[in-house]
Amino acid sequence: MIDQVCKVLSINPLAKDIWEMTFSADQLVKIYKGAGQFIEILGDKTWDHPLRRPMSISGITDSTMSIIFKVMGQMTSRFSSLKVNDEINVLGPLGNTFSHPSENETAILIGGGVGLAPIMNFLNELKSINNHVLTIIGARTKDEHHLDHDPCNGMYLTTDDGSIGDHGTVMPTLDRIINTVKYPKLYACGPEPMLKAVQQFGLTHDIPTELSVESYMGCGVGLCQGCVLKREGPDFAEDSYQKKYTVVCKDGPVYNAKEIHFD
Amino acid sequence: MTDFHIKIGSVEFMNPVFVASGTFGYGVEIPDLLDISKIGAIVTKSISLMPREGNPPPRIVETSSGMINSIGLANIGVEKYIEEMLPQYAQISTPIIANIVGWTFDEYLEVLRKLEAVSSNIIGYEINISCPNVKKGGMEFGTDPETVEKLTSLLRKATNRLLIMKLSPNVADIASIALSAERGGADAVSAINTVVGMSIDPYSHQSNIFTTFGGLSGPAIKPIGLAAVQKVYRKVSIPIVGIGGISSGNDVVEYMLAGASAVQVGTATFRHPDAANQIFDQLKTYCQTQNIQQISDLTGKVKLHS
Repeated sequence: MIDQVCKVLSINPLAKDIWEMTFSADQLVKIYKGAGQFIEILGDKTWDHPLRRPMSISGITDSTMSIIFKVMGQMTSRFSSLKVNDEINVLGPLGNTFSHPSENETAILIGGGVGLAPIMNFLNELKSINNHVLTIIGARTKDEHHLDHDPCNGMYLTTDDGSIGDHGTVMPTLDRIINTVKYPKLYACGPEPMLKAVQQFGLTHDIPTELSVESYMGCGVGLCQGCVLKREGPDFAEDSYQKKYTVVCKDGPVYNAKEIHFD
Repeated sequence: MTDFHIKIGSVEFMNPVFVASGTFGYGVEIPDLLDISKIGAIVTKSISLMPREGNPPPRIVETSSGMINSIGLANIGVEKYIEEMLPQYAQISTPIIANIVGWTFDEYLEVLRKLEAVSSNIIGYEINISCPNVKKGGMEFGTDPETVEKLTSLLRKATNRLLIMKLSPNVADIASIALSAERGGADAVSAINTVVGMSIDPYSHQSNIFTTFGGLSGPAIKPIGLAAVQKVYRKVSIPIVGIGGISSGNDVVEYMLAGASAVQVGTATFRHPDAANQIFDQLKTYCQTQNIQQISDLTGKVKLHS
């Protein structure tokens, strides 16, 4: 990875509290490996907020990168007030990638909330190589969506309140469309309850499933070991090392659903 | 041209900016963007007798001008360290200081002995004494002067390599602990380790760290580190390695003026993996503009109001 000072090229609200930012990234894109990878933005030149903020890459061209982020706190609120030509320090690209479906598999991508960022990136990556893809994007309500509900083209939106797309979480929609696919492979990114549900679904139906997880991060490059997640497995002995926990920034953020354990 | 060489014990270092334990892995799993050959020395993460998984998450949280961590000394254990890491040091010209941790005297000693028993280009040891002593009711090794002197002299007898005792700031009188380390035969002390801290989410009412208390680091603790270094400098004659919130060349200068012979950069590396090199570059610029001939001339030269 490298750290590069990048220029903001565009920054726009996509939906309620959800923003998309595109920045110059000629150096970063050269070493980009694929959808699933993330970057870490240093949002504060002072030490008021010392840690970088990890953000999934939502799109890429031969000289730019994009992220989609949700305004959650002071730092993300500051990101949303950045202007075109402002500079940001970006460390990346970090972490691993989604693995592509095999020839006979159909990818079903599932994004919840701001978890749609790597999902959109992966969708475009798969489409560019003519893969048939089904996508389900969930949100609480219509205001949080920016895409069109378009089942004919494989794009399903869901809302908790039924204000657009299918009524409910992503799960009933997944349950319905799974039968239309012979060899499905699931990819999901979103809030933990959604990941848990998709994980459970994949395990129960014996469907290969990859989950992109979120974690509170420090360095982003495996040095601080702050961003760990429990691995699935028996009770690991205390005198083992990295059997019980996985370091998300380095080993992840994309995991086989069988590998990880949510509490 | 400034001379940046500094000496600790009998070891000469090319420059006084080191990277701190727990912020740079074992010195070999380094991000590719980084030229480690320019770093003064690499202090490894703490190595214990047995491997350790570390603490459950959440392990870290950002705070004003700092962060709290409670990683729990996760490490591969000394045997795997010897097997997997030591051979890789043959490719590295940067001096490596192995940081050792234990929960009994015997554990510290055994880790050190195992490292001494094999051939390696480790240049010395830094001893993490901020751990609870299980045989002394869980009191930290580093809080009791007698314990520190005993541990230091035990380790001293087992090695001729550079021996640095890393002091905890969570004590009543850090200078007396430093004195114990000196009496025990340490070549140097490093100060400070992290400061005990806590962070709470006001909305969920939950502690932000699994173990409730963690170690505060970053610029928030720089004044605490500086005061500790100055207090220790007044009490002992062995060199001091200054640690705590160093994020710029000027910070290095302040620590040296307070009494440090060298410094370690920690949390700053989490913002910029290349922080130690950047800080050294800033130090070079400082020395050039301030016409400093010999960096070691700064040590202890703080001007006090009297």
